[in-house]
Parts: sequence; C-alpha cells; structure tokens
Amino acid sequence: MKKEYGALVVGAGIGGIRAALDLAETGLKVALIDARPSLGGILAQLDHQFPTDHCGMCKMLPLTQRDQSSQYCLRKGIFHKNIDILLHTELSGLEGDPGKFTATLRRRSTFVDPTRCVSCGLCAEVCPARAPSEFNAGLSQRTAVYLPVPHNIPNHYVVDLDNCQRCWRCFEACPTKAIDFKFEQRKDFNIIVVTPDQQLSQDLPLWFTNENFPLHPAATGEEALGLLAGGLDCGLMLLDLDLPQAEAERTLRRALELRPNLAIVLLVSKNKDRDKVGDKDGGKDEAVAALIKQGAREALPKPLKQAQAVPWLDKLFMRLVSDETLSIEVGAVILAAGFECFNPADNPAGSADLLLYGGHPGVLTSLEFERLASPTGPSQGLLTRPGDGRPLRRIAWLQCVGSRDVKLKADFCSSFCCMISIKQALLAKRRTGGQAEATIFYMDMRTNGRDYQRYRDDAENQAGVRFIPARPHTILPGPDGGVLVQYFDYAGELREETFDALVLAVGARPPKSMERLALAAGIEVNESGFCATRYLAPNRTSRLGVFAAGAFGEPADIRGSLIQAGAAAMGASRMIRVYHGPRDETPEAEPKYADVSRQAPRVLVALCTSCPTLERNVNSALLRQRMEVLPGVVTVVDVPRACTREGWDILRHEAEASAPNRVLIGACLPYVHVPRLRELGEVLELNPALMDVVDIHTASFAGRDTSFAGHAACLASCSTKPGGGPGACDCGETARTNEMGSLLAMAAAKLLGADPSSLPQATPVSPQALVVGGGLAGMTAAMGIADQGFKVVLVEEAEHLGGLALNLRTTLEGNDPVRFMEDLVEQVEKNPNIRVLKDSRVVLSRGKAGRFVTVVATGEGVAHTLHHGATILATGGREAKVYEYGNRVHKCVLTQLELEQRLAAGTVDASSLSGVAMIQCWRSRGESRNYCSRVCCQGALKNILMLKKRNPGLPVYVFYRDIMTTGFSERFYTEARRSGAIFIRYTPDDRPRVEFEDDKPVITALDPVLGGQIEIRPDLLVLSSGVEPNDASEIADLFGVGLTEDGFFQEAESKWRPVDFLKHGVFACGLGLGPATMRESLLQAKAAAQRAVRILSEKQLSCGNVVAEIRQTLCSRCGRCIPVCPYGARSLDLDKDRIVVDELLCQGCGSCMAACPNSATVLRGFHDEQVMAVIDAALAGQPRAEARPQTAG
Amino acid sequence: MNKTKPPISLTPAAHQRTLDGGLVAIQDLVRSCMQCGTCTASCPNAFAMDLAPRQVWRLLLYGLTQEVLQSRTFWLCSACYTCTLRCPRGLPLTAAMAALKRLAAAEGDAVNRKKALFYQEFMRNVEQNGRIQEMGFMCSYFLAMHNPMLPLEYTPLGLKLLGKGKLHLGGGAQRGRLGPLFAKVRSMEERP
Repeated sequence: MKKEYGALVVGAGIGGIRAALDLAETGLKVALIDARPSLGGILAQLDHQFPTDHCGMCKMLPLTQRDQSSQYCLRKGIFHKNIDILLHTELSGLEGDPGKFTATLRRRSTFVDPTRCVSCGLCAEVCPARAPSEFNAGLSQRTAVYLPVPHNIPNHYVVDLDNCQRCWRCFEACPTKAIDFKFEQRKDFNIIVVTPDQQLSQDLPLWFTNENFPLHPAATGEEALGLLAGGLDCGLMLLDLDLPQAEAERTLRRALELRPNLAIVLLVSKNKDRDKVGDKDGGKDEAVAALIKQGAREALPKPLKQAQAVPWLDKLFMRLVSDETLSIEVGAVILAAGFECFNPADNPAGSADLLLYGGHPGVLTSLEFERLASPTGPSQGLLTRPGDGRPLRRIAWLQCVGSRDVKLKADFCSSFCCMISIKQALLAKRRTGGQAEATIFYMDMRTNGRDYQRYRDDAENQAGVRFIPARPHTILPGPDGGVLVQYFDYAGELREETFDALVLAVGARPPKSMERLALAAGIEVNESGFCATRYLAPNRTSRLGVFAAGAFGEPADIRGSLIQAGAAAMGASRMIRVYHGPRDETPEAEPKYADVSRQAPRVLVALCTSCPTLERNVNSALLRQRMEVLPGVVTVVDVPRACTREGWDILRHEAEASAPNRVLIGACLPYVHVPRLRELGEVLELNPALMDVVDIHTASFAGRDTSFAGHAACLASCSTKPGGGPGACDCGETARTNEMGSLLAMAAAKLLGADPSSLPQATPVSPQALVVGGGLAGMTAAMGIADQGFKVVLVEEAEHLGGLALNLRTTLEGNDPVRFMEDLVEQVEKNPNIRVLKDSRVVLSRGKAGRFVTVVATGEGVAHTLHHGATILATGGREAKVYEYGNRVHKCVLTQLELEQRLAAGTVDASSLSGVAMIQCWRSRGESRNYCSRVCCQGALKNILMLKKRNPGLPVYVFYRDIMTTGFSERFYTEARRSGAIFIRYTPDDRPRVEFEDDKPVITALDPVLGGQIEIRPDLLVLSSGVEPNDASEIADLFGVGLTEDGFFQEAESKWRPVDFLKHGVFACGLGLGPATMRESLLQAKAAAQRAVRILSEKQLSCGNVVAEIRQTLCSRCGRCIPVCPYGARSLDLDKDRIVVDELLCQGCGSCMAACPNSATVLRGFHDEQVMAVIDAALAGQPRAEARPQTAG
Repeated sequence: MNKTKPPISLTPAAHQRTLDGGLVAIQDLVRSCMQCGTCTASCPNAFAMDLAPRQVWRLLLYGLTQEVLQSRTFWLCSACYTCTLRCPRGLPLTAAMAALKRLAAAEGDAVNRKKALFYQEFMRNVEQNGRIQEMGFMCSYFLAMHNPMLPLEYTPLGLKLLGKGKLHLGGGAQRGRLGPLFAKVRSMEERP
C-alpha cells in the first residue's frame, strides 16, 4: 500500500524545515525530502546570522507539545513524530489533483545502511579518493566515502559513487558491515549486449570476468529479444546503434514491453562514418535523442575501452540495484528547493578572470569566507588566506557579483548579500579583536528590513566598517600575495588599495536541478529561472496544490524565506482541508502512566552488547559489575542488538518481568530509541520521562583518537616501563570501560533524582481566533484561519474594511489592487466562519495561548466577550505626514501616493508637464524614522513608469540614497532607467535643497557623478514620505507584547520567529510589524494564520517535561528572574503577591535558576541535588590517571 | 568642475533640445546606465580624459550636449572595448563614444572639426594604401591642420619613431586594396 501523507515538502533547507514543522504541528503527516544527503540546506554551512550574529535556528522548534519533537540543536537534526525525512531523494513525478497527488520519489542510494553505520570513520580513513568538500565550499578535500555535514545527528557516512575508485577498502574496513556494494547480486545481474561488432562481443565477457557479471552477447535484436522472451532475468541491455536504425528501435521498444524496468544503454560510435558525410552527426544525434525519449537510459560513446567501461558499468549496476523509487500519496506539495550561490567560475561570462576568482587565493566567494570564519571550517575559524595561510587583516567585500547584471541574465537583486556582507565584516572585526579593516564596495546598500538600517549604521559608525559606493573593476594581484583593487570613489578620484582578501558577495541562482524539478512537479519558471509565482498570490506556483516556500520563488534572506515557508504551509494546509474535508479529529488516546512518586526507585539497566566495536573495545563484564552496584539498580540485563526489533522485544520482556519504575538503556544512537520509549512507557505504564538512553557507542571507539582523558598520562607511564611503549597495555580498553561506566552512572543518578510527580494540567484550547485590524493583512489572516474550519472574529476600528491598501491604484507588476481588495472584503464579509466587528476596539484582554478572554466594545456601546485560542495583531500603518519641502503648502508638491491616485484619476496630466522631480527617503532613514519604508522605491518606480508611458519625453529626476528594489522588482528599476528617468544619489549630509519661485519648486543638489551642483525647475515635486505604524501602544499593552522604538510590533526573533510575539499565542503581520509591500504583507498574514491554526488545531496544550517551578516559601519576590527569562514566561502576580511561571511559555532553559539568589526557582529534572549526584557519579567512576597502569598491568 | 561654480541648470529647454538633435540616438545607447563607474574604472585612457566616461553619460542624459562636445574624452577613446565588455548593463559604450566622434565631426564647432581631421586623414590614408603608411599620413595630417608650428611640435616624437624604424616610407603593394570595402560602407551609409 502506498504511504499517505498530508503534504510533501521538497527541500530540507530552512524553508522546507519551517514549512514541514508548521504542517506537522497541526497534526498533518509530512514527508520531507532533499536531494542532498544532509539536512539544513545552505544554512548548515553558515554559522552566524545577522542581526544577532548567532545561529538561533532552534528557536523554530515547537514551544508547546514540545515532547513531540526533539528539543536540541536544529542544525544537527530534526525529529518530529509527524515528519518523515527522506534524504538523497528527488521528486521525479507528480500525478493527480490537489488533495490526492501521487508523488514519485527517486531515492538515490548512499550505499551505507544507516541502521548499521555507527559513524566510526574507519571507512574514510582508508579511502584513497579525494574530491572538493561541498561542506567547506571547496576549500578542503574530502574522501569519496564521507560525512556530508560533520555535525549532523543522525550522521551516517555516504558513498559518493562518482568519485569512488572501486577499491572496496571501505567495505573491508567497516566493522559493522554497513557498506553494501551488492557483491552478492553481481552474479545474478544478466547483461545482454546487442552488437553486430564481433570484437566487442568477444571482449566484453573477458573484461567483466572479475566483476562476475553474466554477459550475453547477441548479434541481432531478434536474438536479444529471444533471450528476454525465454525468461532471462536481465538487468541491463547494451544496444549498439551500429545495428540498422529500425532494428535498434524495434529492439528497444519490444524489450521495454517485455521488461518495463529494463535499463537500456545505447552505444554510439563517434568515429566511424555510418551515414552520409553530410549529416553524419546530426542524424545520429537525433536518433539517439529519439531513443532516449522512448526509454533508453543514456548513450555511451564507442569504441569502449576497458579502463572506462568496467567502472562505468559497475557503477551503473550499483545504482540500478540500489536506488529505489517510492510512490506516496500526498494532499499538497510544497517546493522549497532553495537556490544555489552564483559561482563566477561556472559561467564563461561570469567574469571569473576579471575578478581574479580561482586565479588568486585571496579572492573568495562569500560562502567560502563564511566557511573560513567558521570554527568547523578548514582553518578552524582563524581568518587566514587559503594557500599561504597569512592572517587576513584588510578585507574588502564586492557586492552584486552575479546579481543585478543583465549580461549574466540576472536582472534581479539577490536580496540577502548586502546584509551578509555587513555581517561578515562585523564578524571579521570580532574574530580579529577589531584589528581587521573591513571595506564594502557597493552599488546600493539594500538595508530594507525594519531594523537593518540601524545594523548598517552601527557597523559604519561604531565598528568602523567602511562603505564605499563604487564598483571596482580592476582587480590585480597585489604585493605580498594581496589583491590590488582600483576604483573611482564618490568624488570621482581614481584610487588604488591593496587588500589581503577580496570577498565576492555572490548572488542567488535557481537550483541546478530546477529544470528537472519543474518538469517533475509540473510548474512554470520565470525568466530568471526561479519558480513563477504571482504578485498577489505569492505562495502559489502555477499548479494548483503546489506551493513555493523559502527562496524558491524569489531570492530572500532567512526572515523572508521563513515567512514565505509559513505562507506556503498555510496554503498547503488549507488545500488539504478543502479537498479532504475536516481531518479525523479523534485525538490520540493519551497514555495513562501509573503514579510512581511514592515508590522507592527501581532502576532497570539494559546494556546493548552485540555491536562489534563495543565487544572489541569494552570490557562488558566489568561494566556490568559496575552497574550492578549502583544505588537503586535492581537488574542489569544484556540485550543483544537493542536497535533491532528482536532486541527490543527482549528488553520489553525483561522490563515487564522486573517491573522497574526507572529504565536506563545503554545503546548506540539514542534518537532511534526515543519513539520506542513512548511505546515501552505504554506497556509498563511508566512515563517516558523516567527513562533514558545513554550513548555508550561513541565512547567505545573514541579512544582510538586518543582523545579520552588520561590517555596521554598512561602512554607516558607505559613507555617508561621496560618492554613498554604505546599500545603495550590495554589501558585503552579500561579507560573506555571507565568512561562508559561513568556515563551510565551519571544517567542513573539523574534518573534517581527525577521528579516522578505528574505534569501541570494541560490548558484546553478555545477553537476561535481573534484578528485585530481589518486591512489587507488582517483580512488575509482571517481568511487563512477561517478557510481551515475555525471561527474568527475580525475587529476593525474604522467603519469599513480595507485599511491602507485601499489607497493603492496600481502595483508595479501591473495588478489591480482595487479589484483585489474589493474581492477580499467581499469574501471576508460573506465567510460564515468570520464575524466582522466594525467600528470596534479591544478594551480588555486576559489569558494565555489557547485560552484568551477579550472584551471588544463596538461603536454603539455594546461589549462582546470573546473566548479565543490565538490572537493576530494586524493594526497596520499609514503614510507618514510630511510638512517640509512645501508639502501641503504648494500645490505642486505631492507625495508618491497622491501622485499615484491622481494619475489613476486623471487629475495629473502627464502630457502637459515639463518636468518632474522626486526625492526618495525623505525623512525615512533619518534620525526620527531610521528604517527603510520599503514601499517608496517601488511607489516611485510605479509612478515613473506611468508618467513615462504617457509622456515618454518627460524629464524625470529622482534624488535617492539607495534604491531598494530587492528581488525581481529590480527589473522595474532597470526599466525606469531605460525609460530615461535620471537617478541622482545624495547623502544624508548633503540633501537636495528646495526653494519656491512663482509657486514652482527650484531644486539644487550635488550631482556626485559630475561633482558639481545642478539646478532643476520641475512642475511637480514628489516626495516619498514613507510609512509609519498606527499607534499600537494600547493594543500592545492589552496583549502584553512589545513595541520597537519606532512603534512597530517587536516580534520574538526577527529571523526565526518573524510573525510570533514572545508572548505565545499572539502573532503579528502587516505594516504594524514593519514596513512591507503588499506581497510581503500577504505572506506575513498567511504565515501568521498558520501559526494561529497550529494552536487552534490542538484540543489542549501541554508543557514539556522540563519546566521551571517556584518554591514560594523561599521566594523573596526580588523579581530578578523576570527580566532574565528569554521567553517572557515569568511575571509577578500582584493579586497573589507571587512570581508565576507560564508553563507553556517556559522552555526549561534554566536562566531563572542561575539568577535566583535564594534557589527558590527550580527546574523539573534539574534539581540541585540531582545535578550534584550526577557530578558525583561522574567523578566517582573516574580512576585517577596515575592509578591506571596498575589496574591495567 | 567644483562646488564654487554656479549650478548647472537643467531646464526643460535643455532637455527638449536633446529630443530632436541626433543626440537621442546616442542617449538611447546609454539610457539604462546606472552610474556604477565600471567604464571609468576600466578605461585605460581615463587618466588623460577631462570628463570621466560616466560623467559623459550623465551629461548626455541631462541633455547637456555642449558640455560633452567641448570635452576631449570621446576623442581619446581608443576603442579597446573594455568598458563595453565589462558594463553590467551590457551597454554599447564604445559605440556611443564612436557616435559622439561622428556627431562632433558633423555638427561640432571648429575645434571639434579640427580634431576630427586626424581620424579623416587616417582613414583616407588607409583607403589609399590598403594599410597605414605613417610618413604619408603624417604629411597629409600636417597639411590638413594648416599649422606650420605643428610639425615642429612633433619633431622629437618623429625622430624617436624614426630611430626605432617605426616610420615606413611605404611601398605600394597593398595600394587600393581596401577600396571596394570603403565603397561598400559608403553605399550602405547612404542607404536610409
């Protein structure tokens, strides 16, 4: 039977993980696949993210129902009970309709059995092959059998067949027989060679004698088909095209009829002239293409040579018998295949030579720099130049490499490189203790997020990063192995500087497999090769039921990718609900656990015994002895191979017999056992929190690299003894046994001290959402929730729905926002699940995630009391009021929005104008509102293109600081330039000056290109006034959420939780959260809706096992614990005069414990006594180093 | 140009003038210029130019034809095509420089027409001889310039070139060989 999933997520990068988590948390089963052998996409390679310069990926993990997923570093791995991960797997076909797709997945074998591989690394030690390491961006080498990402969990070696030399040494070295090259199956793999070439049919069997393949030469197609019809179980057919074409074709067709899965490879002779001289290759190529279309696998040039043909065929055999094709049923598909970084060396027009890339070790891409700065990178995070290893002290960044370059077919902005370069500049400063000099050469610094401009200002003013608006184009090898850069500075002077390294801020390109993926998924791509989406439906692809997440539809930074992923998840979730009807709502039966709090601890220790490395390296009898004497231990059982079903059954049997109330398992790969603990808990009626799995496996071979404690001392004492020397004693084994014993004793001590009392009561959820604000974002969010079957109350302050978006007349992409808004308002008002309260305000709100009680007062003075489980704040923003530059005094001064409306209404006649000037960033990005308003550049371009369309000769002058057309809106900037608008850059210190003569503006400004002043007398002066948030201080107070200094909502984490508040259950979207275009508001609203649905779809919310509690008798109400809590879970309850902890918000980090002076706050599972006991156990079991030779000898 | 100068006035009239002259065609070549300065940075002759190439484009787009035609920048363009190769916008900058030379020769003032003489004499020499013959070219250029002092100015350079054997008196082996080519170009140019 086919496996059924709610959704298929293609791409396990950050966008895919977000989308998968968003769906899994609402109870949908998700299949998460990735073509790479590892999780995390490009982010696995990046250690630091702005603006915090930390990672923080784990902040995406579920905050409630935490025990459904793993709760540790998300960079290492993800475990959620609703997510199945399939790596090294590609989507190869998608049939059917939304709600019931059949997806065909092709899983490429890694030749390593993950259930056997213990990551000991012996295979890589013996591998003779070398290839550039993908993980280190080619800066280091890896073997052909390798770990794709060194820090993943689970982490298994994979074989890169393309670089494999077929020496089979890894196969021989593997202690667990995890590597499988299918040697046994070779003798059953029949190969038919259909060739008229006598020589070849004689040679081939000889060549392959060592490989054991049975070869069946056939001179004609008839003969081959006869073999097949006779029942030969054939795996591969080599079909020589020297046969007459008709015969070759017939053989192929007929063979595929007989054996639909037969792999057929064409042999095409390249040297011999088979046809007429004129079209010898053309005709043949066509024939080959036609046959491949009919089902041939590939074509191989003839004549074959033994040295090439044998490895090729052997590898093909391994692929054929090892690769799998899976078929699953899914309701919806999310594509999150991400992007590739532009590689200047890949493209002949990529200017690798001009940029010196590849020819000079000091010229790096930003990805390579990121690896250099990473502690897991090739230089352990020391910033040294590859090649000569000199420390990097003067570093320059060059922006827009591969972006904004029409010659490289990149008429788009990659959106993330500017911020990455600033981050890297700051990182370089920090890594070198401020010694490094950082210079960024840029065209436009696109700091277009809410807080990005401040980040840049801090980098410039406090950290001293130099920003130079120039595009250096002469890059030469400099003295001392440096890089000489020539550029024209802002004043037009030619300058020359030498840097230790030049970092190319490379842009985004569609993934390499895009063409295949688009074909398999049946979606369209846009002219830049990314997935085509529509401006006002940005989470959808061209195929219904298939959604785009992450940076797949448009290059985006992490924040943008996550918002896009959330929106895609919402689309998929809605689609599944619409086509599948209401989900099966019967909740899983909550397991019942016996109360063991009044019982004396009875610990069962189970030790897995039969791993080969374990036997060899550990004295298991000694270990067993040590375990038996530990306090509270009632039985120690040996379990052969705990990882297998049989082993586990033995364990269960033993456990049932001895009825323990604590279970400790010593085995490998703890994460494998986590789902089984739940199962065991049900059998024993024992809470899985009272069970633990200890990894005794890693320790069993860790001694090999002599990293274990005391080894050096032992070696020293051994070598001084007569006849001694390294390896003369078996102290390695003893040390490992000791280490393992300590690990187990520590875990046992922890279990002994575990609190067996039951968890706090779960909170029942009110299945209704409240949305505050009826603008574009609020209405979209309400629709997103209502469409999934939940009730929504939409509260709007004004007397009609629509908000700021009603003022728009056109969009850059040529959509009709008026119509869109009208439709949206109508849909919201007619939706039976949405109750709209206009002319209303929230006056009171209490409660927490899952259970809010809010009072809404309407204009008529009626108060409604609402019970809701989630809240979305979309209070929106407005056009900022500007009174300078003659606005609102002179008729000829307009804002961009006013001009847009007048152009639409026809009250501004473009043909009668003789000149228009625009000033961008007027007040935005100044002292009072130091953020980019996001919409003004787009608004200006929209108006320019409209003016130029109506009057092509009209002079338009635009004074700007940085044009912020990220993503595909860059195209319109190019178009505006091409239409003849003139863009003049100004700096905040030297703004354009405006005077008025005869009621007409006279603008004087510095033209930095000419280096002189210019004077313009236009008919119209248009100001980009920017946006500011509506006053949300009252709402923020009511719901207990924060505001930024500009009055926007302060989200929990700008990257990882972009639409969440620190207060769980409250979400934000739209202009209230930060300046955004219509597209971004829509995406945020959909992402926020999905976050709300995640809470609403639970019947009740329960906290995790590790939460903070307060011993009220010890608490002095000093309040120190309140500000240190990073999750805002603690507050002072004034009525009861005590500190209270919100168990749902508490994530068990323990900051409060550290801050509390009285030890009044404690963490379940980490009591002081317990932790002390663990430390005691660790130290007790560790024999002193000098005592070791005696025990060993 | 510096800040003490009076501001350049960009009147609608200045803009209008650009719309009818032959300048529109040149403007069209560089319209989507984004002033990144790549052309200037990569120009091997930029050191000798009074206006940097990107300033030329900016003035052209402003419609300040006179300022452009008064500069010697475009005359100094040696048509190495580096800027065209490197322009991220893919603009035909060398073609724009050449167009400026043609415009200046046809419509420019006396100074520009005189500057154009070098090119004209050069091409005439090539047409006649099938290759450049330095001596003949030098003589005809000096004659065309109507400046008796000019040969004296060039004497040191001439002696240097002569010493290195770079001044050929020339044979007639290739004479007239390029005639058909020139004729063809002329007839193509005459065609509308």
